[in-house]
Amino acid sequence: MPKHYRPPGKKKEGNSAKYSTRTKALRHLQVTLPTFRKLCILKGVFPREPKKKYEGNNKTYYHTKDIAFLLHEPLMDKLRDIRAYERKILKALAKKNEALAERLRSRKPGYTLDRLVKERYPTFIDALRDLDDCLTMVHLFAALPAVESEHIKVKDIHECRRLSHEWQAYISRTNKLRKTFISVKGTYYQVEVEGQKITWLTPHALQQVITDDVDFKVMLTFLEFYQTFLQFINFKLYTEINVNYPPSLDPRLEALGADQYALSKYIAGSSMAESQVGKEGMTVESELKLAQLQHQLPANEPGALMQLVEGSNGEDQDDDETRECKSLFKDLKIFLSREVPRESLLFVIPAFGGVVSWEGEGAPFQETDDGITHQIVDRPTQGHLFLSREYVQPQWIYDCVNARILLPTDGYMVGRVPPPHLSPFVDNEAEGYVPDYAEVVTRLKAEAKKEVLPMPGLENLDLDDPQSLMAEGIMSRTEAIEIAQKKIKMDKLEKQYHEELQKELQKLPYSAASSKKNVDSVDEEIKDNLDRSAKDVSDMDQIVRTRKQRGLMKAMEMGIEKKKAKVNLLKKRKENIAKAPASKSS
Amino acid sequence: MGFFNHQNLMKIHYQKKRNSDKKKNKVSMKSVGDDIIPAVEESDSSEDEVAPRNTIGNAPLNFYTDEEHIGYDISGKKIKKQARKDMLEAFLARSDYPWNTIYDEYNDEEVEIPKEWRKLIRRYLKGKTPHADVDPYPEYVDWVKHDAKHPLSNAPDPKRRFIPSKSEHKEVLRLVTGIRKGHIKFEPPKEEKRVYDLWGEDSSSTDKARHGLRYIPPPKMKLPGHEESYNPSLEYIPTQEEIDSYELMYEEDRPKFIPRRYDSLRKVPAYDKYLLESFDRCLDLVLRPRVGKKRINIDPESLKPKLPSHNDAVTTISVHVSGQWLASGSKDGTVRIWEVETGRCIKMWDVGEAVSCVAWNPVPECLILAISAGQDVLVLNTGLGSAEEQQRVSELLNIGAPSETDNADKSTSIMSWLQHDKHEGIWLKHIKTVTSVVWHRKGDYFSIVMPNGDSRAVLVHQLSKKFTQRIPFKLHGHPVSSVFHPSRRILFIATKKCVRVYDLSKGKLIKKLEPGVREISSIAIHPAGDNIIVGSREGKVCWFDMDLSSQPFKKLRCHPKDITNVAFHRSYPLFAASSEDGTAYVLHGMVYSDLNKNPLIVPLEILRGHTTTDGRGVIDCTFHPRQPWLFTAGSDSVIKLYCH
Repeated sequence: MPKHYRPPGKKKEGNSAKYSTRTKALRHLQVTLPTFRKLCILKGVFPREPKKKYEGNNKTYYHTKDIAFLLHEPLMDKLRDIRAYERKILKALAKKNEALAERLRSRKPGYTLDRLVKERYPTFIDALRDLDDCLTMVHLFAALPAVESEHIKVKDIHECRRLSHEWQAYISRTNKLRKTFISVKGTYYQVEVEGQKITWLTPHALQQVITDDVDFKVMLTFLEFYQTFLQFINFKLYTEINVNYPPSLDPRLEALGADQYALSKYIAGSSMAESQVGKEGMTVESELKLAQLQHQLPANEPGALMQLVEGSNGEDQDDDETRECKSLFKDLKIFLSREVPRESLLFVIPAFGGVVSWEGEGAPFQETDDGITHQIVDRPTQGHLFLSREYVQPQWIYDCVNARILLPTDGYMVGRVPPPHLSPFVDNEAEGYVPDYAEVVTRLKAEAKKEVLPMPGLENLDLDDPQSLMAEGIMSRTEAIEIAQKKIKMDKLEKQYHEELQKELQKLPYSAASSKKNVDSVDEEIKDNLDRSAKDVSDMDQIVRTRKQRGLMKAMEMGIEKKKAKVNLLKKRKENIAKAPASKSS
Repeated sequence: MGFFNHQNLMKIHYQKKRNSDKKKNKVSMKSVGDDIIPAVEESDSSEDEVAPRNTIGNAPLNFYTDEEHIGYDISGKKIKKQARKDMLEAFLARSDYPWNTIYDEYNDEEVEIPKEWRKLIRRYLKGKTPHADVDPYPEYVDWVKHDAKHPLSNAPDPKRRFIPSKSEHKEVLRLVTGIRKGHIKFEPPKEEKRVYDLWGEDSSSTDKARHGLRYIPPPKMKLPGHEESYNPSLEYIPTQEEIDSYELMYEEDRPKFIPRRYDSLRKVPAYDKYLLESFDRCLDLVLRPRVGKKRINIDPESLKPKLPSHNDAVTTISVHVSGQWLASGSKDGTVRIWEVETGRCIKMWDVGEAVSCVAWNPVPECLILAISAGQDVLVLNTGLGSAEEQQRVSELLNIGAPSETDNADKSTSIMSWLQHDKHEGIWLKHIKTVTSVVWHRKGDYFSIVMPNGDSRAVLVHQLSKKFTQRIPFKLHGHPVSSVFHPSRRILFIATKKCVRVYDLSKGKLIKKLEPGVREISSIAIHPAGDNIIVGSREGKVCWFDMDLSSQPFKKLRCHPKDITNVAFHRSYPLFAASSEDGTAYVLHGMVYSDLNKNPLIVPLEILRGHTTTDGRGVIDCTFHPRQPWLFTAGSDSVIKLYCH
């Protein structure tokens, strides 16, 4: 008798009814494992975790509804047809009927994935939410070489380049880029489209290492879906800003490889035409609105109203952040020298309102242009130096973007080691450790906003009330904690001082040792007290918690400990680094 | 032709080698001419006519290396060796005219190469045909006449050569009929994959919802920290020792990424694990089971089970004379009794309406609590204390039901004494909202204030007789609070503008105190009875000395916001004021028995700790009867006890 006997005629119930293992699913669907994988990738079906893994922990479980979903997928029939068709070709080849094989090859049936995109992402917002992986993959393939043996086709590579450039052109045009970060892996970008934060990674513009332990079949299946996906997204975004899609580019620029510039020119051109049309419409509309409003308002303020309408005319859709981003590099004319990441900078600088050109053909202006304010240079040797412009390293651009102010260029001059490049994705204060340069940047930002911050050197802070200071937003959390600690220390010292005074009054002989001991003992006493009370509290808490909560608590404490250890390590390293040159000099 | 050239040259090389191997009677130059150019064979014969000077024949030349002569001439005389040119000279001569002469070892003489030969050699070296008059690319002459009949057969063309093919005709017919009838279809033009607005315009349509199971979005990729930067701060880079120590770790503990620093962007290499990592991500997306998990981002404190507490702002608190019990009333309609020492909630009643005031009976063995909530005043038996005491209390709170109702007092129209059906106690129903309840020192009388009660705004109830009387004085303005004198039969009634002092036994107004503030909010009396503090809505505390004048002895401007309550300590020279700004002030207020000495008022401490919610900070404060402890009740539904 089996382990769980089910009498005949009785339906399955529970987890075994809801879930099936992969093998069973394959048998049910009558497909091979590679086809199943492909279907899963295209349909976005993933394994799920049943409450009880009834066939063992090492199995993969799919929901039966997901499997039914795959079973009714027309794409599965299509894939079967294609497989049968391929056998036809093989047969023709085996019979040495080259002509037939060729003819069959030219009429291979294909399939489209747009229906699947719609099915997986019913609304546009859903689609944007899941765009991260898509963009990362498309940008990766845009940087890969076409490898025949791995079935990476030139067509795919070109398609990926086109799609990524289109996406970047849109972002750059609408100033939606928010954060950038150059890591060892590549460059991270974060944009905000329709309230969704989308982050992606592009590899450095270098020859990529193609390793053997990567199964390109899986990646290419993903890419197949992502290409369709991004294409429709781009279409939607382009139509939203009234630009035709797919864009038709200037063939000369395209041939030169300046796709991005060609695209941006195209978008600028077409949206300009649109905006002129739109402007007329808008003026009519605004006049109407004005008339309506004037009815409601007293007649003595038409001027103010006029301004209001005009103000709303220009940047009515832009939120504050976009406006801020738009004007960051507004008055700058930037020239890129050789050996800087050109594609990345051509994307980033216009996204923040800057004008940019590069060395090479098709560039909008030459190096000798008088209006150039900054030149991005990476290698210290320079030919002719123009005094009217500043020579900075590429990191300056990225740091400015993250700080949202124009940082002073001294640290970024050519030939110097630039200040550390910090990740904009880290909440330093939550992390518990603020790198020095982050503090410098916050100060510069505050200065730019004309806020007055307490100088770092002057410690005239009100130690009594760190909380009130915090409320004013002047101090960070860590500082507040430090100050609180300082206060405790000072209290201690004060106490000791009083004791000594008393002793003196009692004419007791003063001894350094005793006082020292005193301090220590007081120190220890306080520490012990604190420790004990904290321990007591935690013990008491332990008693009242449920087992689950205790486990949770333990996990949390471990997490906190880990974080603390990390911060301590960083602080220790910093101390060591500070010590090292000092010891060298002495 | 090029091929030929090459072969010839090869030949020369080969020949030269052979010659040098032989090193015999042949002049190398001669053999050169001999072998390569068969076309100039004739000239060679003339060369042969010149007989060699030497006559040694095939004897090896090295026989003569140590001799002074090289051989014998035709007359048998020794031919002397010529003086050897020194190397430099030979080299110069050769470099000037490279191919003009050649040394004949056999005859020991320099032989001049004729001009035409030199030309040949030069052409050889350039890889051309040796003779200039040879044309390597002659005009092609097609000797065969193609239109002529093949010379092998003179048969006439067969018929099939000039009659249209029948099979082809058939094939064409088949195709034509096939196309006409539609058997044969033309290949449709390959169409590009179309792009269109997939999501449409309206976002509100119903079919936009995803079908099937709940979609669990994949977790987003981890965002990079500072250490992943190409140029991180120095402290993020592990020392060599640390990197070495990673080797000792287990595979899974080992950090996957070791930060590195590049001093310039152009020096950053391609990341070698990029493809692998993105492949792993792909596999994760398709192979990993996804589970919707709530993020654990909670305060560890929240895991502690909640102590019983009020769910809404605590509006009023009262401490029993014994100091053992604390009663509190909240906006959520509950009244709780707490044990002060342990903080345990002993009892809880739900009265249904926001509680405006609670007050303990001041007699220590009489554990009765008066509660005002809305229009009701409840006098409840708390059920604490010994059995004997409880017995007494329950007797006291028992109403022989109908006998009191025919009490034809005026007050019955505005209120009625009833037995409470749910809780053990008396239920006094009023017609207007009651805001405060104050007990008399002996615990028999208690007064209530109904701000909107007009002439019956202040009532005094007698518990033992279940009897109500109203104050027989005319009140000017809205009453706020009332308080009994601690020793004499005097009642203080605070209206919004002033405080009136009535003698209850004589039934007349004794005094009218005018603090000169905008609106009075609370009043408290010193346990000695000669001093009063009044809190105002503008944050001022007025100290009145009853013996002095009707003007305040001192005005303390302590709070920026409304004062909610003031309180005196029963034994210590302390008083406190709580305010809506979330703080409570504790002040030292010493009253001397010497009448000539003015009271001493010193501010002591600001107590923070309550958070301000919906504009109300600390709502009530009261002192512990014996200890220098202050209880405060906050709008954040917390009661706090401050000890010195």
